[in-house]
Amino acid sequence: MTGFINARARRTGLLAQLATLLATLPAAFLAAFLAATPSHAGPMGFKDSSMAMGDFSPNWQEAWVNHAITPRDAFGAGVLGMRSDNGLLRRTFVEATYTRLAKRWNGEHSQANIWLLAGAGPVQGNDFAGTRTMLAPGISADFETTRVYLSATARLYRAPGINHDFASARAGFSFYETDYDETQPWFIVEARRMRGLSDKVEITPMLRLINKRYFIDAGLNNSNQARFNFMYIF
Amino acid sequence: MNAKTVHFAAACALLTAATAIFSSAQAETSVKARVNGMVCAFCAQGIEKRLSKLPATQSVFVDLKQRVVAVEAKEGQTLDEKTITAEIVDAGYDVVKIETVAQSVADIRAQTKADAKAKK
Repeated sequence: MTGFINARARRTGLLAQLATLLATLPAAFLAAFLAATPSHAGPMGFKDSSMAMGDFSPNWQEAWVNHAITPRDAFGAGVLGMRSDNGLLRRTFVEATYTRLAKRWNGEHSQANIWLLAGAGPVQGNDFAGTRTMLAPGISADFETTRVYLSATARLYRAPGINHDFASARAGFSFYETDYDETQPWFIVEARRMRGLSDKVEITPMLRLINKRYFIDAGLNNSNQARFNFMYIF
Repeated sequence: MNAKTVHFAAACALLTAATAIFSSAQAETSVKARVNGMVCAFCAQGIEKRLSKLPATQSVFVDLKQRVVAVEAKEGQTLDEKTITAEIVDAGYDVVKIETVAQSVADIRAQTKADAKAKK
């Protein structure tokens, strides 16, 4: 009986958590648009392709792989390690992910996208025992030309008693135009905030290199920590 | 060897060369598309990868600035414009114009570069 009540309570807790997430989604959408708009390359590749992504810094270490089953839908898995500024709080989130290209505008010399992100899985922390179920819905939008890039992302990271909502905005420009077969260098600045992990906004100027085979960002944030991102399509 | 034989041999050689040139020109058929949304080589690699996998594809050319995608057919094979359009759309882009031309991808590349230079 106790087990049944506990199971029911857990279900009720998860439902309440889901309801809270759904209620806060419009705010996440708004946050994304207000922040500006991420990614010169979207969080998924073209139909039938697999994509690997990584974002590494001392406080945020994330790796993803996904597979696009349609031009607009990708399923995958990821792992995210979070750490507070003082290094005392640590989380590890393992998630199953779904990425949806909600809308794309292809202009003559521009492209804009709206992406929906969803993740769910167990989270572990050094301040509690066992695992909790974390849900992580999000939205991302971007606008780019061959010379200019703007993007924003908002994602909620919620589990019972945990809130690590995340928001980021990026803007940048390319130094010059290149042919399809050449590597194009960009200067990108990112501002991001991670609730419950840091009290400050992390600002990272980065050098981005885009080639038809790889996509990498490398920079140093305002705490003098190195940052490295990559994307690769198989 | 008399003059008649020489003339006959020369005529045969000319005919053979003309036939070879004509056949070669006929063999070089490409589908050329004008595509919207191509702003980044990393993203546009999907177009090249998808088109390269088609059995009739000899080679592919992508030009971001001029918005051109060209696919050359293997000798004796034909490329279907509808299939090319579908592959580009599946890669995430919009085809605004597509045509079959009697040119190789190398010719289209040279012409596209010349057009870009002329625009500057």
